[in-house]
Amino acid sequence: MGDILEVIKTRKSIRRYKPDPIPDKILDKILEAARWSPTGENYQPWRFIVIKNPETKNKIGNLAKLGSGSRMTAWYCLGEMQKRFEEIQDPVKRAEVLRFMYSGEVSEFAKQAPVIIAVIGTLMEGSVDVPYDLSACIENMLLEAHSLGLGACWVHGPVASTRDAAKFKKILKIPTGMGEYKAIAYIALGWPAEARKHPRPKKPLEEIVYWEEFGRRERI
Amino acid sequence: MDKVEHFNDMLVRLEELLYHELSGCAAWKVELVGIDFIQSKNIKGNTEDEVITHCIKEIIASGLVKNMIYSIGGKGILLNLKMESCIHLPKEVRLKKDGIKPYICPIANMIMDQLIEKLKYETTYLAKLDFDEKTRECKVKCAIYETPDKIGLVSDWSKEEL
Repeated sequence: MGDILEVIKTRKSIRRYKPDPIPDKILDKILEAARWSPTGENYQPWRFIVIKNPETKNKIGNLAKLGSGSRMTAWYCLGEMQKRFEEIQDPVKRAEVLRFMYSGEVSEFAKQAPVIIAVIGTLMEGSVDVPYDLSACIENMLLEAHSLGLGACWVHGPVASTRDAAKFKKILKIPTGMGEYKAIAYIALGWPAEARKHPRPKKPLEEIVYWEEFGRRERI
Repeated sequence: MDKVEHFNDMLVRLEELLYHELSGCAAWKVELVGIDFIQSKNIKGNTEDEVITHCIKEIIASGLVKNMIYSIGGKGILLNLKMESCIHLPKEVRLKKDGIKPYICPIANMIMDQLIEKLKYETTYLAKLDFDEKTRECKVKCAIYETPDKIGLVSDWSKEEL
């Protein structure tokens, strides 16, 4: 059994892709990784919609842009966004980053991804763990994609609000009843056109791990 | 039995529960809470002002709030609402005491819903919900986007208090 820690540690969210197509053989491996994810009582509530059609991807990209932009514009107007980017010293660069965020352009990248995979879960078969199962299978897909040299990004934005989730379902002809399918996210996939130069810092274990009880930092 | 108190108690439990399950994005999921009332009222209007004014008239007439005023600012995307003695104020007070910042305003949801339903606004977002237990006043800031090109029209909303 191989240790996959290096695969886990080197995975980053990739939002820029080369236009090269992803062979079906590779796509199938990513979907197979999803199929083997942990799932409560083996319900396997997940369903996947693989999207290559540029028109559909454009619609989803626009929806993502609208969702993120509508929230971030308000956060900027309230002064909340600015605090998040205070560490950028260059005022011109900071302004451009902020504009990129509040315009919603930050979430538009589905349009450029060769493939996006919508991850939805049936709410009609009795599973009590749908969001958790779906999240686990998304992580499996991200890791498999990374191990195969692909870049990927987990995107929740366009299904974050109730109305946007309904729009997302309509684009993909998913039944829209609240008791039918949960759309939890999509994954954008492609050959990476960027290397993350500055991986986001991670909190040290000492900060996030307790031993035996909450708050106890001494290792037993 | 005080039915309003009972319903507010239930809303508190649900709002707490949803926050516990979803953390901050719970606030993004609740935009339909409250809209059934206003959808039953046949709100009419061809402009922002007409629709909002009609909504407020119905909301006050029903006793959901004692008084309510509004303003539009922020390059047209900021809807400021000020309400007096909302029946849901006890919900906000109790949530705050429980350590959760209230994020559901059924009254604001009603107005934003009608902007979408009647005027086909692209999207809306409840951006800020403040309240004062002593004065029994709520102040709500909503982002209202008539068209996609309104996204990104930034300004300083702190200068536009109602």
